Amino acid sequence: MKRGLLGLLIAALVLLPPLGKPYVLHVVIVILINVVYAQALYVIMRMGYLSFGHAGYIALGGYTSALLVTKLAITPWIGFLAGGVVAGIFAWALGAVTLKLRGIYFSLSVFAFAEVVNAAFRAFEVFGGPAGIAGVPRPALLGTRLNTHLQFYYVVLAVALVSLFFLYQLQWTRFGFTLLALRTRETERLAESLGINAARYKTLAFVVSCFFCGLMGAVHVHYLRFVSPFVFTFFLSNDLMIYVMVGGLGSYWGPMLGTVLLTGLGEQLFAAGYYKSLVYAVVLLVVILALPGGLISLPRILRRGGARERVLPVAADVTAARER
Amino acid sequence: MLEIRSITKRFGGLTALLDVAFTVGRGELVALVGPNGAGKSTLFNIIAGAFPPTRGQIVFNGRDVTGLSSHDLARLGVARTFQQTTLFGEQTALENVLHGLHRHVPARVVAGLLATPAYGKEQREVARRALGVLELLGIAAYRDTVAADLPLGIQKLLTVAVALATEPVLLLLDEPAAGLSRDEATRMMNLVASEIRQRCTVVLVEHNMRIVAGWCDRALVLHFGQKIYDGAPEGLARDQGVVDAYLGVAELA
Repeated sequence: MKRGLLGLLIAALVLLPPLGKPYVLHVVIVILINVVYAQALYVIMRMGYLSFGHAGYIALGGYTSALLVTKLAITPWIGFLAGGVVAGIFAWALGAVTLKLRGIYFSLSVFAFAEVVNAAFRAFEVFGGPAGIAGVPRPALLGTRLNTHLQFYYVVLAVALVSLFFLYQLQWTRFGFTLLALRTRETERLAESLGINAARYKTLAFVVSCFFCGLMGAVHVHYLRFVSPFVFTFFLSNDLMIYVMVGGLGSYWGPMLGTVLLTGLGEQLFAAGYYKSLVYAVVLLVVILALPGGLISLPRILRRGGARERVLPVAADVTAARER
Repeated sequence: MLEIRSITKRFGGLTALLDVAFTVGRGELVALVGPNGAGKSTLFNIIAGAFPPTRGQIVFNGRDVTGLSSHDLARLGVARTFQQTTLFGEQTALENVLHGLHRHVPARVVAGLLATPAYGKEQREVARRALGVLELLGIAAYRDTVAADLPLGIQKLLTVAVALATEPVLLLLDEPAAGLSRDEATRMMNLVASEIRQRCTVVLVEHNMRIVAGWCDRALVLHFGQKIYDGAPEGLARDQGVVDAYLGVAELA
């Protein structure tokens, strides 16, 4: 049934947009972009790391593509990929050093990195300085430039679906399962004693997380047709964490739920300016106090404690086979 | 099989181990004994690769493994449990053992991402294997219970199951019976002395003389970082050095 619902949702995303108003289309695009960001962030949150600086990697991806396309006239399709790759390379370099840190120390190191990234974009003329880079073109397909919202919507949808599929499947691989073993310093020691090279797994997870942020960051910039040091700031990093925590860390669908609800709500509050942050803060407080597992844990709590979220499909399979 | 060549470990000004040397043969069940602070856990940590010795050498299966990381040693066949009963607390018993099987499961990233039927079949095979390890220790009934919710006795057995899942050549058990009731300790040691030692060589840290004398082939006594006894458990009570080191002499008899 779950599969059927998912198919229905995807079909709706593919077929319905042409009927909607441009504004609705814009909101859906923003939601799709944010869902990928949040889901990418979830990869490292699932192994016990909080990042206050994922916007830095989004900015790296966005700037990489914007620069390649405007200065070197490279096609945006390559620019998107390059955005992900560059963000991934920086994640690898920084992660190799900072993932040894735990808790707030790691979070702050990523935050500092993101600030440095935006400061560098602001300081150097090659990156466009404080004014940023304008006139970032949309990609072309079969000779047509995808200039309308609707055309570009399908680009965003395609990138989002592929990314989300990859990130969803990743959890069921040995790699995704092993990340769960690295949640605390103690379990990491245990994992090491079982032959798991924790540093390598953590670095790879961070690279995967930042690759998808960089990739979507590039797509995002081509949607806005513009990027500046003031687009992907701490406020975005902060919002992403709130999406994931409000939705809940217990399952893949948690971050997605949080992002859809809060981005949708945030767009409605756009005219209200700074009140958006206020509303997010209140929602976060209420959820943390009342539902530490996030909104996604609500059905399970209602089913009086209910079953725990499965982390490995095979375990359930074997159990079922035994009981038959 | 395991050869410890005059290991010394200093932490700052403190000498935790001084010129400790011994060998362990294949299939042995050896107890490492000593009062608190004698350096037993330090020695364990060095053998398992948690940190390197200040001086000395560790030879495992004819190979110098001094200074290798914990995960490298695990791949060579050294497994261990921790004194603090460390488990993957949020995960079920079966999932804990699955982590132990890590090095015997191929990664298959692409097949996993595409969720091919062959991959699913292989995964079920792996889970069955994990269940087999739980069965071996008699705790299969707890396979779907979250580790943190298990009683201590079962948790202790689970730590052994997780280590055993790596299919070690050498298993280091840090106080496997600590905190257990007499019956639970007996159950644990019976398993160690039968099912487990059939599969690998075992070195364990133990305070309890009943356990050392009852199940182990050989006792090594550490005192203030030095080896003061190496021989049959029966000789412990007659050894003047050991008797001096332990005030609870009466317990030995």
